[in-house]
Amino acid sequence: MWRFLAEAGAVFVKDLRTELRTRVAFNALGLFAITTLAAISYTIGPYRIAQADRPYLLSALLWIVIFFAAMAGLDRSFVKEEDSHTAALLRLSARPLVVWGGKLLFNFVVLELLMVILVPLYVVLMGFQVLSVGGLIWILLAGGYTLAVTTTIVAAIIARASSRGALFSVLSLPLLLPLLIFVIQGTRAVAEGSAQGAGSALRAVVSLGGVMTIVSIVLFPAVWNE
Amino acid sequence: MSGGITIEFEELAKRFDMRVVFRSVSGRVGPGEVLAITGPNGSGKSTLVTILCGLVRATRGTVRYRAGSDGEIPRESWRDHLGIVAPAMSLYEELDALENLRFFALVRGVRDAEKRCRASLERVGLDPERKTQVRGFSTGMHQRLKIAQAILHDPEVLFLDEPGANLDPAGQGWLEELVGGQRRAGKTIVLATNDLREMEWGTSRVALSG
Repeated sequence: MWRFLAEAGAVFVKDLRTELRTRVAFNALGLFAITTLAAISYTIGPYRIAQADRPYLLSALLWIVIFFAAMAGLDRSFVKEEDSHTAALLRLSARPLVVWGGKLLFNFVVLELLMVILVPLYVVLMGFQVLSVGGLIWILLAGGYTLAVTTTIVAAIIARASSRGALFSVLSLPLLLPLLIFVIQGTRAVAEGSAQGAGSALRAVVSLGGVMTIVSIVLFPAVWNE
Repeated sequence: MSGGITIEFEELAKRFDMRVVFRSVSGRVGPGEVLAITGPNGSGKSTLVTILCGLVRATRGTVRYRAGSDGEIPRESWRDHLGIVAPAMSLYEELDALENLRFFALVRGVRDAEKRCRASLERVGLDPERKTQVRGFSTGMHQRLKIAQAILHDPEVLFLDEPGANLDPAGQGWLEELVGGQRRAGKTIVLATNDLREMEWGTSRVALSG
């Protein structure tokens, strides 16, 4: 287990270091998120939604921004390895699950970093009142993990395809739609302070994340090696 | 593992869609031997190397790795025993030489990684303290770094696909010494080349006709 963590950690550090020097994913995610947030806050703002509708609509808008930002940047993890001809050497050097673990950790960290910047901005600009901040943090962590684990395996599947951009969205959408529904419900529940609603949504998100993790562990070695 | 590794391949054929790259290629290379794969451009030398190292599956035929008394090595473990230099396999251009080697050492679980990385760089004539990203390297330095990466974990099998490409005469002389040293150390070497001088290093030869 320690060996796996050390090796996956090396993949994560390598990806983080190359990303900090090129900023391809950071720019794609950040620019999309900030542009969308600016557009939403300018057109809708904090006062153009009826008070009763606010928890639901603002939760939905928040996750739409996060979801599409993820679509804009998280496919890079494997595509970059193929485009820069480093994938073959990586295949011959690292065990498949080590690569998967490192890439997953990278995508998760990038997504959570995005949320750390985006969510407070969104709360302030949109006047989004959240009664259970702790609950929101759990929803963001679980939702971020499930989003990362799903986009990681889809990115691995599409990395060697010719029309990758379109494929990434097309393959991700059906897998991520249930997640999107549950995280929106969960965010609405924490905004309204409904512990029961938040708990059931959180359980659903964690279950989806668990299923996608198991599917990825089974599927990834074949996807990566063949 | 004692006794080194023998690679045996029989009746290998490879086809991409309708294009036949080669058909019915057989051979064997053992510890302390150098198998030279030769042939004109497009004859499938690099393809044969990628099949022998387990990166690509042959359309037909078999490849086996045998390790002395330990018997056959399963395909998923081949990577633990081999090092490779190939034109189509790049290193990370955003990292410097030491960062690249440190990464490959860590994912391979190499012990004394830092010491081994520095020793490998010095062995190929690169300065471990140089902080230039690989994107700023000359093609010759790039090739030296690829060779350092291939020998970093002291593999029992070494695949060298056009290893002398972009090396200056001094580098080619040093490469010849390296291959000779690896051979004397009982390593199994597969060499794909069109260079007449490099072909001479081979103890056996597979000629692809194209």
